[in-house]
Amino acid sequence: MAAPVLEVENLVKVYERRGQPPVRALDGVSFAVPRGEIFGLLGPNGAGKTTLLKVLATLLRPSSGTARIEGCDVTVRPLEARRRIAMVLQETAGELLLSVRDNLLTFARFHGVAAAAARRRAAEVMEKFQIAAEAERKVQDLSGGMRRRVQVAKMFLADTAVLFLDEFSTGMDPILKRAVMGFLREEAARGRTIVLTTQILSEAEELCADILILNRGRQAARGDLNTLKLLSAGVADVALTFAALPPGVEAAVAALAPLRSRLDGNTVELSLKAEEARVLEIVAGLARMGRVLRVEVGGASLEDVFVELLRGR
Amino acid sequence: MGPLAAMIVREAKIRATNFTFLFFDLFYPLLYLLVFGVGINAAMGSPALAGGVGYNAFFLAGVLGMASIGIATNSSWSFFLDRDNGIFVEMLTYPMRRSEYLLGKVLFNLAVAVGQAALTLALGAALLRIPVRWERLPLLAAVIVGGVAGWFFFFSVFALRIRRNDIFNSVINILYFALMFASSLFYPLAPLPAWFRAAALANPLTWEVDLLRYASIGLGAPRQLGWEAGAFAFFTGAGFLAAVRSLREQG
Repeated sequence: MAAPVLEVENLVKVYERRGQPPVRALDGVSFAVPRGEIFGLLGPNGAGKTTLLKVLATLLRPSSGTARIEGCDVTVRPLEARRRIAMVLQETAGELLLSVRDNLLTFARFHGVAAAAARRRAAEVMEKFQIAAEAERKVQDLSGGMRRRVQVAKMFLADTAVLFLDEFSTGMDPILKRAVMGFLREEAARGRTIVLTTQILSEAEELCADILILNRGRQAARGDLNTLKLLSAGVADVALTFAALPPGVEAAVAALAPLRSRLDGNTVELSLKAEEARVLEIVAGLARMGRVLRVEVGGASLEDVFVELLRGR
Repeated sequence: MGPLAAMIVREAKIRATNFTFLFFDLFYPLLYLLVFGVGINAAMGSPALAGGVGYNAFFLAGVLGMASIGIATNSSWSFFLDRDNGIFVEMLTYPMRRSEYLLGKVLFNLAVAVGQAALTLALGAALLRIPVRWERLPLLAAVIVGGVAGWFFFFSVFALRIRRNDIFNSVINILYFALMFASSLFYPLAPLPAWFRAAALANPLTWEVDLLRYASIGLGAPRQLGWEAGAFAFFTGAGFLAAVRSLREQG
């Protein structure tokens, strides 16, 4: 395994609140991420993901523990650590009074990119993110989605060792999101380490080589997708599309006590924890209720793992 | 380009998007001098004040002091603009020191302040025949730079610690009132009651205006100006450290 670019050891962050009990947002979190890996940080709201990113980005001081980026302790040498990172915040951020091009060039200037290289890269990145036509427009005149594009696009202007993305796809249309995921894979292949948080588990499933699931500031699970899916061994995802939704199917599904279920038009989706033979029996039973157009049975998804791990938390 | 230069370019680009504001910044003290100064001078029958100077000459340092506070509050208010745009926290993750963030924010505005003072002096001398001590221009420029920086650091502490724009504006209005009227900005302190003089002498704006008055028209006692210069330097240094500390606690 390559030397880790990001090392976190026993990180604790306690928020002291006047007149209220302290909140332990991070409670002994440890992990390491090698160069060129896309690392996913998952967890429900309030799990500590954003706090962790803020500590890594030197925005917050941890209560105890250490975090290092290419060997630079974020608490002891914050400036050195910041030279190695770029961050897309969860909230939309931009120089609203400046043009799209100036937004990109300003970011490049702060990261020490030479003027000629910055102009060339800005032109390339604007093409990539389909914002070249808006290059001279002020960001305040753009839609929310376009502002988000500019915010993410500028991260490609500087070659920082680590890129933090907090819910990067918020406000992006599916086509652009897919394209950006491709760009992120290219960056990782070039040796850039990417740490992302997301609530959209399919994104993590597609992008991340390694995933850490946080819950209440602690590690709930850690590993690659296959390892995590083993945590949900025996869970199957079933989807049946009927020609017309049969009467009573909703009650029949509820009676099966699935891990989760969803009715979408004429399609019934459910996750079941049962032996394979029993799953097939259930599918056959449901299929007898009406004319079935399509049946899908698959193994556990990351969402199943997530739900099962955090159930009853 | 280093982060400090990047910050100055950023501020300049943002300010350059609003030429009206920039134009008004440059001419605002001159307009104040022409309207308020000339009006008061005429209403009081063109009195000769301490040192035998007229009110227009006396008030010149006052408008420069008032203008330095104005530029400093506008610069510190821009933290709210950055915060509203979401860029404030992102910038804290950029590879620059917190002190560079602060200095970069004020350096472009120092250039505006010096330009503003040069215009006010030149046109004040030409239109109102104010006896400007041109040989002390470098000292005047230094006082202007120190003054704007000192007030910017002072107001930045409030802008960084107060999260609400409306509360910040209220605090600034109260401070403006106290600072401007309990000072030597509008009137000489000598004829005023002892308690008023004591309050004014503890006011950093008095220290700055007295230094500006000495540098612009040569009025002032060197001994008093010596301690006022030291006190204002301390005020600026303390403000800088407090503002850096406030910035470190953001995020």
